[in-house]
Amino acid sequence: MISEAFIPAVTSLGAVALTLGVIIHFVSQKFHVEEDPMVTIINDILPGVNCGACGYPSCNQFAEVLVETKDSSMSCPVGGADLATKLGDTLGIAMAEPKPQIAVLMCQGSNGVARQTAEYLGIQDCWAATQAYVGPKVCKYSCVGLGSCIAYCDFGAMKLEDGLVVIDKDLCTGCEACIAACPTGVLTMQEKKAERYVIACNSHDKGAAAKKACDAACIACQKCVKVCPEEAITIDNFLAVIDQDKCNACGKCIDVCPTKVNCIRLEKDLKAVKQKQAS
Amino acid sequence: MKTFTIGGIHPPENKLTEDKAIEVMPVPAELCISLNQHLGKPAKPVVKMGTEVKKGQLIGEADGFISANVHASTSGKVKAVKPAPHPGGQYAMSVFITPDGNDEWLEGCNTAPVDWKKFSKEEIIAKIKDAGIVGMGGAGFPTNVKLSPPPGKNIDHIILNGAECEPFLTADHRLMLESAEEVIAGLEIISSLFEGKAKASIGIESNKPDAINALKQLGAPKGIDVIPLKTKYPQGAEKQLINAVTGRTIEPGELPFDKGCLVQNIGTAVAIYEAVCKNKPLIERVVTVSGMEITERKNILARVGTTFKDIISFCGNTTAHANQVISGGPMMGKAVFSFDAPVTKTTSGLLFINNKGLEKSKERTCIRCGKCVDVCPQGLGPWLLANVAQLRDFDEIQLLGLANCTECGSCTFVCPSKRELVHWIKYAKALVNNRQKRKTA
Repeated sequence: MISEAFIPAVTSLGAVALTLGVIIHFVSQKFHVEEDPMVTIINDILPGVNCGACGYPSCNQFAEVLVETKDSSMSCPVGGADLATKLGDTLGIAMAEPKPQIAVLMCQGSNGVARQTAEYLGIQDCWAATQAYVGPKVCKYSCVGLGSCIAYCDFGAMKLEDGLVVIDKDLCTGCEACIAACPTGVLTMQEKKAERYVIACNSHDKGAAAKKACDAACIACQKCVKVCPEEAITIDNFLAVIDQDKCNACGKCIDVCPTKVNCIRLEKDLKAVKQKQAS
Repeated sequence: MKTFTIGGIHPPENKLTEDKAIEVMPVPAELCISLNQHLGKPAKPVVKMGTEVKKGQLIGEADGFISANVHASTSGKVKAVKPAPHPGGQYAMSVFITPDGNDEWLEGCNTAPVDWKKFSKEEIIAKIKDAGIVGMGGAGFPTNVKLSPPPGKNIDHIILNGAECEPFLTADHRLMLESAEEVIAGLEIISSLFEGKAKASIGIESNKPDAINALKQLGAPKGIDVIPLKTKYPQGAEKQLINAVTGRTIEPGELPFDKGCLVQNIGTAVAIYEAVCKNKPLIERVVTVSGMEITERKNILARVGTTFKDIISFCGNTTAHANQVISGGPMMGKAVFSFDAPVTKTTSGLLFINNKGLEKSKERTCIRCGKCVDVCPQGLGPWLLANVAQLRDFDEIQLLGLANCTECGSCTFVCPSKRELVHWIKYAKALVNNRQKRKTA
């Protein structure tokens, strides 16, 4: 009895499916677009996160342009050197060696180190806080410490710790998404290195004012400038800057820095350190 | 009684200081005069460390078309020119003056009043510009720019803003009672700039009957209408006041002069009178010191540059429960982050409150009750603006009329879910600006 009830349903739906199938077949033949199979292959190799770091809105777009132009200078910051060789092998061209970058926070004003202003009870977002007043920290150049950038990181490389954003050097791919998300401009992009010294301060205040606002502030005393054997450090508008091309990571600057909590920080990229040791 | 048509709220008025006469505050031990007291570019300092200045002497020169002069508010010596906290929430370049105690005027300033009728239109505008007068209601738009509308715009209605719709504030109220003649004279000077063709009126909320009577008696013989308005917040906002007094609506993107209107604040009118007739620059203003957590609530005449900590000690210190200080009114004012911030030309009040209840009222989700839509005086949907801001869709939010929001705070006031609607809208405005800056850079 039940099977009888099924017969009209199965036959009618089957007929509809068959007719539509035939139509789809002819339409797909009629409107067929010739696509380079290479684009699909390249697209499969790419990380597929659509982060936009390469300058194209999606990985697919990047693949299309790469296949069409065969431009060897194009690079995917997320994939790095491994991906560049893979892409080169697939396309049969020599891809330029990419210069991987990472985000570096130029601030060490954690809770207790940086002086606080008034307590902030509003929306927990850096932009909302800086809209209301200078922010929870006295130094207007500092990391606000509410983590607006974290939501923009597709790779889970950022977290909030003790009033500062901490970047995981191994997870950061250098896509630059966090840079635009920061209201104080305290995040910067730097070339990936196994070891580096950075003046982790963003304050352009004069020495006395900077010291009043934060224990880890660069007071532009010039001591590190004088001690640096490579002459890599310069003072720009009351803030010391290390030229990473000249710096050989000797660490002499960190010994002479007079601020209570050193404003100079050693940054290590464990992945790169291991690679260096292996080679 | 007249009032504006769309939206509006009735917050508790709390005009605790309306019977307190204006007290003149003595010169403090140090003045911190901000060079950014107006809309537009901050003034350029023209004094250096060590310069001797007289009261009324120019210390900051207007830098550009939309900018205003800044003057010393007492005689003394310039101690420093450096950034200092600003009641607007940022740091601003400020001139620190150590008073010499003589409080000596610059020669030619603060003379006996002369008749303003002998001055030409251009002379009056120049005097207003030299005196550094800005809109004293809160925004601080340079008055000389506002008084010279572009050619072709016909002003037929001049309105003085005596609404003072913000709870707690009574600075304009006291000024209308104690300086009624100056208010009327100031309005007459403004009218004379438009050859007397424009209709002059003063809009005052009905919760100030004494001010309405005082100005009615003085204004009637001179053809000045005093219009009582039904008390409703935000009546003192420019667009809402024009709507209440004249019935005209300023459409999005339009400015008051597009509809033939010009609005000036009560304090600005008095400042205009003093600048034109007495040659006195804008160096002091009436500030309401109020709130539940201050010992003596007062209306004080404070010099521009008086720091908040001096005002606190003048008013007998705060109570033990005070934990938030607001510069301006409770609806649109800003929380102060440092007591070293000074009184500026736009500081209408200083409120001392206890926000203990606020900490517990965490933001909850929108329940679509529509109260914010009912009260929005600009006819926007604040809940939707806030939702889209939270989603960071900054193309969509501009289509929803983000730029039309005047940040009056009515929506946040009525929200039963305690959502920080205005703060989300301000957040969206900041990010839209940032994106445009990045695009042009």
